Amino acid sequence: MTTRAIIALVVAVWGQRLLGGFVVGPVLARRSALAQAVGLIPAAVVMAVIIQLSVADGRTLVVDERLAGMAVAGVLVWRRAPFLAVVLAAALTTAGLRAI
Amino acid sequence: MTDEQPRLGLADSAALALTFFSLGVTLQVLLIDRGASLWNALTATTVIWSATSQFAYLAVRDAGGGDWAAIIAGAVAASRFGILATALVPRLPAGTIRRALASVNAFDPNVAIAVQQRDERSVEREFWRVTAAMFGGWFPGIIVGTLIGNVVGDIDRLGLDAVFPAALLSIIAGLLRTGEGFAAGVAGALICLALIPIAPAGVPIILSMFGVGVGVLCTRRQRGSRP
Repeated sequence: MTTRAIIALVVAVWGQRLLGGFVVGPVLARRSALAQAVGLIPAAVVMAVIIQLSVADGRTLVVDERLAGMAVAGVLVWRRAPFLAVVLAAALTTAGLRAI
Repeated sequence: MTDEQPRLGLADSAALALTFFSLGVTLQVLLIDRGASLWNALTATTVIWSATSQFAYLAVRDAGGGDWAAIIAGAVAASRFGILATALVPRLPAGTIRRALASVNAFDPNVAIAVQQRDERSVEREFWRVTAAMFGGWFPGIIVGTLIGNVVGDIDRLGLDAVFPAALLSIIAGLLRTGEGFAAGVAGALICLALIPIAPAGVPIILSMFGVGVGVLCTRRQRGSRP
């Protein structure tokens, strides 16, 4: 990672936590509609990161072994499997299909 | 037990430590695979304090995006921690410094358990107990990951490229279990899918935050149908 990226992300990550705890928290406590919208941001953004990591190669959409690994992970998450089981199953499925 | 205050038992602590150990190892192996030096990988992870942001940053750089696009994607992805802090801080005992210390360490498991305690002393105590278990796995994990990063070899052959999206999915599973969280997640994913072929790298992830609108609409409709 570039030094610029490390510094910028430190400011963004630490800053958002402090801002969330000391500024946004007290404001949101009075506005429940806004609190609900803000609370949904991570669901939308992290799902987008998952898409970028599992069905894209650069700016092209690709279907490869990763998608099979993610499908297995999705079922396990839905069945409330523990983190380690989810991660291992995704890796083993993807690696297994590539080895064939 | 009618009103439960969940505490972390020894077995839970060990499982949590193991989870963070594996997350730390995989993050470091990925960073080094993507060309980071040992020192750079260790510094970045130790100071940034958010694996999610680093995954988002690397996803955009892998897609050929510029440094700033990757940084903004990483910052947007870290919104999760700001939101966790909004839930935690008002529940802690008063005191700016102890509140600030807890807020910068807000992650999903420690906040989830802390906010279920009744009084503010228990909130603080349980928060730090869970945090200790997480760090007990995390720091050894990033050290081991950094050390073995160069000898792991082709991480794609081992399926490690599927580990990161799977890890993220497991981390946000709780959010996706609510109707509006699921709607927002699906909308964010669709926005990203639609934009990947046409927008510069990084932009799909940044714009996916507008998926929140679908989640909000979804709640309104549910409320409307049940007066």
